[in-house]
Amino acid sequence: MRPSDVYRLANANLWRTRLRTVLTTLGVIVGIGALVSMVSFGVGMQKNITDEIRRHDLFTTIQVTPADLDLEGVMSGDVSSVAGPRDPSVPVLDDQAVDDIRAMPGVLVAFPEVRFPATIRFNGREARVNVQALPSDMGLHPPFDEIEHGRFFTSDDERSIVLGERTLRELGLRLRESGREPVSEGVESQEALAVVSADSLLGRGVVLVSSVLDESRVPHAMATGSMPLREVETTLTIVGMRERSSGFGFARMAPDATVPSGTGREIPRLGFTSIWDLLASGGEAETEYPAVHVRVESMDDLESVRWAIEERGFSVLALADQLEEFRRQFLIMDALLGAVGTIALFVASLGIINTMVTSILERRREIGVMKAVGGSQGDIKGIFFVEAGTIGLVGGALGLVLGWLVTRVANAVLNYHLRPEGVPFTDLFHMPAWLVLGALTFAVLVSLLAGVYPAARAARVDPVEALRHD
Amino acid sequence: MTPILEARELSKTYRKGATPIPVLNGVSIGVDEGEFLSVVGRSGSGKSTLLNLIGGLDTPTEGGVLVRGVDISSRGQLGLALHRRQTVGMVFQSFNLIPSRTAFENVTLALIFGEHPSRDRRRRAEEVLDSVGLSHRLNHRPGEMSGGEAQRVAIARALANGPEVLLADEPTGNLDSATSDEIASLLTELNTDRGLTVIMVTHEEPLAQRVSHRIVRLLDGRVVSDEDADRSGKARREGSAR
Repeated sequence: MRPSDVYRLANANLWRTRLRTVLTTLGVIVGIGALVSMVSFGVGMQKNITDEIRRHDLFTTIQVTPADLDLEGVMSGDVSSVAGPRDPSVPVLDDQAVDDIRAMPGVLVAFPEVRFPATIRFNGREARVNVQALPSDMGLHPPFDEIEHGRFFTSDDERSIVLGERTLRELGLRLRESGREPVSEGVESQEALAVVSADSLLGRGVVLVSSVLDESRVPHAMATGSMPLREVETTLTIVGMRERSSGFGFARMAPDATVPSGTGREIPRLGFTSIWDLLASGGEAETEYPAVHVRVESMDDLESVRWAIEERGFSVLALADQLEEFRRQFLIMDALLGAVGTIALFVASLGIINTMVTSILERRREIGVMKAVGGSQGDIKGIFFVEAGTIGLVGGALGLVLGWLVTRVANAVLNYHLRPEGVPFTDLFHMPAWLVLGALTFAVLVSLLAGVYPAARAARVDPVEALRHD
Repeated sequence: MTPILEARELSKTYRKGATPIPVLNGVSIGVDEGEFLSVVGRSGSGKSTLLNLIGGLDTPTEGGVLVRGVDISSRGQLGLALHRRQTVGMVFQSFNLIPSRTAFENVTLALIFGEHPSRDRRRRAEEVLDSVGLSHRLNHRPGEMSGGEAQRVAIARALANGPEVLLADEPTGNLDSATSDEIASLLTELNTDRGLTVIMVTHEEPLAQRVSHRIVRLLDGRVVSDEDADRSGKARREGSAR
């Protein structure tokens, strides 16, 4: 018996009981639809985040901290490493240390962590921002090598600022998308955002308001319980504007406002680093940094640079270290999402078994005839296997279509709800080739597995019994 | 001369729970090429069981079925399937046609298992249906045909793969006497004109006498007589007049 004959007989049988076949196949369609849409959500999330990290070159980024700073401890609430008196033998992250790191082979760029809260005043409105000071060298590297509007800094001392999209929104502004009208007028009017062109903002001045410790107000503050702070205004020119690249909240990757490192140093502030100013004596703490960000040329350089930095007595934290853990977490998430779909497919496979066992009972005489005219047990098994496999293949293929449609609808709905929050259109789902082929193979395999028992049972039908004259 | 088909010391015992039910008990029959043998006996005598064993649909408890001296059970289930496919063609009392398929499709089903090249199947199916006088019924389903026509389709299906032996289990049992005669004539014709060996099981002794060369009588699973039959001149005349 040729494979084409097996296929033809199987299809004829399925067609003969088409309503039952359709209903059984529907089970597989729903199962595969659920499976692929859920897994594609997990895969999409992983892809979006990984792409974001890759785009910002974060896999080649390491963070250097003083060895006595237990970063994980601090993050989990244990401040003993920063609370006690400092050990003078522990090397500090000062400008010299930054220069030394910068000179290491494989290091592309190294800059100290300078970050402080401030308020930006523009056009009569205010925005609370998190200012990061960056060296102008960073303009050569992602994400600052591609500023959507304007440019990055050309020197470390220019009195300029690059604003993030969130800051602009807080200032009541929305950039007109180049070459087209704003997509949704309703959203703009609802939030009362003024749609402006980027060119109209470039070159204009903003006032950066930072807070500093006002020693003269300390006695008064102690008496009243208020903060002994005073505001300092610095005028900066807008040279560039960045749009948020994704809706996944990588605020640290895309700071709200960026200033040149030299300018940042000059701006009077009470930043996170100034805690040392309060505790340490003299001005030496002024040149110490809580962290230094290092970007290496490639992931191959990561180990040698890490080793060299650790040799100098600093701690190193690399995102690449987290990569495996990160992948494992996503694998678990994908497995959990996939499990839900698999349960649906399992139920569908019970449907297949049920349908085929019913079919055997109905087709006993036919099976007997097939045996009488020379059909072997293998031939009969083959026919039932192909029937189960066909249900799996057709159900799997249509399930993929259903899954794809579900992801498109869900994506449209989710994006519609995320848009008012300033999240640009993002495809939250990703259906790579491996998922498509894997789901199809899985559907066929599960269906074939469901066909094992019915096929074996059909092959065992006793022709004498089946053909007995009633 | 070696018989084309031989049942050697065939025994078959079924079991109902722990109780053995012997149906055949040491039956030995040889059939020569071109012979028309009838097996007659009362209900429960074991004649259908004998035919099923000879046809390879069932396996004996003891003994064996030999085709030109070779035991068909020596090659296992696949060997039995090949025996059913190549050596024998079977016809049943209740026709056993697939109701949802046309006459043509019922015949083609046998050809599919017979490994006929697909391009030859149509021609072959039409040929055998024509040979039983049903060229005008190709696309009719069993439900749209008379009993005689349905049995002719069943005979055409049995002939499709060119068997050496035709096994007919009460082929006229469901038919009225006129149609029975037609089917009997067809079987005789196949035997006489084409030299097809026929083994027919029937409880109708007169029919057996009319169409067979030899009659074996079974009683309680044993052969009680094995003797030549005298084919009536009437049956032959009817056969040649067709």
